[in-house]
Amino acid sequence: MASRVCLKCRCTQILPSFKRNLATGYLQSGQFCTFLLGFNRRHIQWSTRNNAVVNQGLPVFSKNVGAMKKDQHRQSFSHQTRSYSSSQHIPHIPEQLPSDVDPLKLVEKEVSLLTDDIRKELYNSAGSGDILEPAQYHFDGKGKSLRPMVVLLAAKACNIHEGINSILPSQQKIGMVAEMIHTASLVHDDVIDASDTRRGKPSVFKLWGQRKAILTGDFILSVSSQVLARIGNKEVVGVMSLILDDLVRGEFMQLGSKEDEEKRFNHYLKKTYKKTASLIANSCKSVAILSNCSDEIVEVLYNYGKHAGIAFQLIDDLLDFISNEELLGKPAAADLKLGLATAPVLFASQQYPELHAMIMRRFNEPGDVEKAWQLVNKSDGLEHTRSMARQHCKEAVFQINKLKDSVERRGLVAVTEKILSRQK
Amino acid sequence: MSAFTIARFMANKSGTIQGLLKSPAVPLTLCRRCLALWGFNKPDEWKKTVMDAEKLVGYSTSLLSLRCIFSDELANVAMQVGKLVGTKHPLLHTARTFIWDDKQGPQTRGLIILLLSKAAGPSNHPDKMPDFDREMVCGIYQSQRNLAEIAEMIYAANLIHKGVVNLAEVKPADGMMKDMEFGNKMSVLSGDFFLANASTALADLENTKVVEIIASAIGDLMQAEFTGLTDKSGCPVLKTTTTMDNWYEQTFLSAGSLVAKSCKAAMELAKHSQDVQEKAFNFGKYLTFARQLNEDLQPYISEDGGSAPFNPTSAPSVLYAMGGDQDRVDFLNNCAKTTSGKMQALKLISKSKALEETKRLCREHGQKAVEAIKDFPISDTRTVLQKMAQVTTNV
Repeated sequence: MASRVCLKCRCTQILPSFKRNLATGYLQSGQFCTFLLGFNRRHIQWSTRNNAVVNQGLPVFSKNVGAMKKDQHRQSFSHQTRSYSSSQHIPHIPEQLPSDVDPLKLVEKEVSLLTDDIRKELYNSAGSGDILEPAQYHFDGKGKSLRPMVVLLAAKACNIHEGINSILPSQQKIGMVAEMIHTASLVHDDVIDASDTRRGKPSVFKLWGQRKAILTGDFILSVSSQVLARIGNKEVVGVMSLILDDLVRGEFMQLGSKEDEEKRFNHYLKKTYKKTASLIANSCKSVAILSNCSDEIVEVLYNYGKHAGIAFQLIDDLLDFISNEELLGKPAAADLKLGLATAPVLFASQQYPELHAMIMRRFNEPGDVEKAWQLVNKSDGLEHTRSMARQHCKEAVFQINKLKDSVERRGLVAVTEKILSRQK
Repeated sequence: MSAFTIARFMANKSGTIQGLLKSPAVPLTLCRRCLALWGFNKPDEWKKTVMDAEKLVGYSTSLLSLRCIFSDELANVAMQVGKLVGTKHPLLHTARTFIWDDKQGPQTRGLIILLLSKAAGPSNHPDKMPDFDREMVCGIYQSQRNLAEIAEMIYAANLIHKGVVNLAEVKPADGMMKDMEFGNKMSVLSGDFFLANASTALADLENTKVVEIIASAIGDLMQAEFTGLTDKSGCPVLKTTTTMDNWYEQTFLSAGSLVAKSCKAAMELAKHSQDVQEKAFNFGKYLTFARQLNEDLQPYISEDGGSAPFNPTSAPSVLYAMGGDQDRVDFLNNCAKTTSGKMQALKLISKSKALEETKRLCREHGQKAVEAIKDFPISDTRTVLQKMAQVTTNV
């Protein structure tokens, strides 16, 4: 019974412009309902089959299914399997009361030790060489430490699920590797985006020049790879190496803009996964593998990291429109100035079609940035973005609640609340 | 699609780049390996050795992984590099060396790894190797072939990243600021792309020791740019305190480490003993020293002194400066700036003991390389490897 239903959740809320594929009779790939594409906050019309999944915020990325050749068994729990199966999968999520746990407090000691460990590792590799100073520059304990915090909480939550009471040294190392990869990518991104400040101080290239900044980033990566290799787990090395691949492919995706309006949102979500969520998702997955969790739990952790990561980036993109420079540590409307169309703009373009032309020319004509900024703030694009982030957080919470209860699990839930409520 | 794109790029753009860089008009089909390799005074002898060596490993070793070159991402970069024509951004030159062959062409790195893998022979512990890697083709395991490719990718990434320009130092003659910025962006992205590919390929080898060894080689390449022997933009600078120890450190970090550690890792992949791994490492190390010394001697051997500017941190220059004072060091640094200065420096050093000493060191290290693998099983491959070392020492 071929008809105009969403390929994923079978609802009929489809943009009028989507055409059916003449050969199959179904919509073409990537043409999901307005809810999955993020244009609508909730399903209005339910399909007769009634197997829609409310918390499916995200289209399946081909990369996640295809690229992890060696982890195919883990993929059996993927997204798609769940959405098509019976109604038992419709998650029931009670409205969360604000958690009373402060996630950072739970692993504060470990996080600060981790920064020291990174500095030590860099020292061991660089010795007294001149590369040490730029390499250690950003490991000053002043960052948000979101990634190490999530990784360490995930490690502890997994371990308690498996009956282990402490964080394993190997898991601590995954936290280090995640933070080092993140920092290396920041150093490179700052050069690419010509961003003069980072975390309230001059970027590496401002002090050492572009050339040395890039080489410093590579150096941090090489040390992180050595830390990772010394854990001695082949599977984990494979999972973590996907992060670098995603990061660079995400950066390439950012170069081009899609002509097709419908494809644009998918492109944006895919890029967001690769540039931000992949790091958190695959690090969480790695700590679960190290605590010897079942494939199912490993997948749970991966999904938690993925959804939390996407929510984090959505809020990040949103803050670009409302926060000011002093609060954020970087100039406002930075994305627009770089020619990037993020979720708020994409949502706003539904309301104000004149944004399409600006998106295509990457806001490069005089006045484009200001005009786009105004239109976005006039539209409900910011509200849509926030509600989309909220959906992803809900899904992350739904996933992580599959673990046995622990204070760290509640900490991970609190992380999603923090992601939604942060102002900078 | 991407293969088509890059083919089109090469057809369209290469002509333009070629013209602007005043390159010899070599047809694309003939350009591989036509230029001098490693600048040997007897190129035919070296070329013949390399050709013999390639026959032994089964196929001509490619410049870089074709999988990488024909990816959508690099096709994207290739299309964009055209915009840099007319500027002095180093990425333009680096891209050219991938299409044509330069004298420091990357291909011999991979070749040495393959030869050494073959010379060491089959594994004594095949049971400890991963399932996918039990069979040898032409006496080389698949994982070792992959490793050779990985080493090439890392070298390419490093070459590209070293070409990132400090925008604060850009002069109007170099090109428009906008273009230089764009060139940097492309350099960062394409270098990162090679590195990311290398790291997933490394993970696929399923050997964490190898990951560690190769990762440390990448770290060494980066450290090479932060030693006292270069300035902020990577140009060589001599100091009064510079000795041959600094020269050895610099040569090891910037070139030897990748070859030596890759050779060692190739042995680890076939589960050869620590002792064999050590010998492979030493072969790579000493061969690189010998080749670099040979390279440093080229300006003194060739009649016109070659086209490159004078390098004050080359071995003969360092040896010459070690016997002198601050004035001599300043003089040598200044000679790097002009052609007349270069001829003057070459003349002075030629008359000194430094030149003879460099030649002696070159022969010494070539000999050490030959001896490093003397306990490997007797084979044509071992003979070719040793011949490569000996040809290098003909100075």
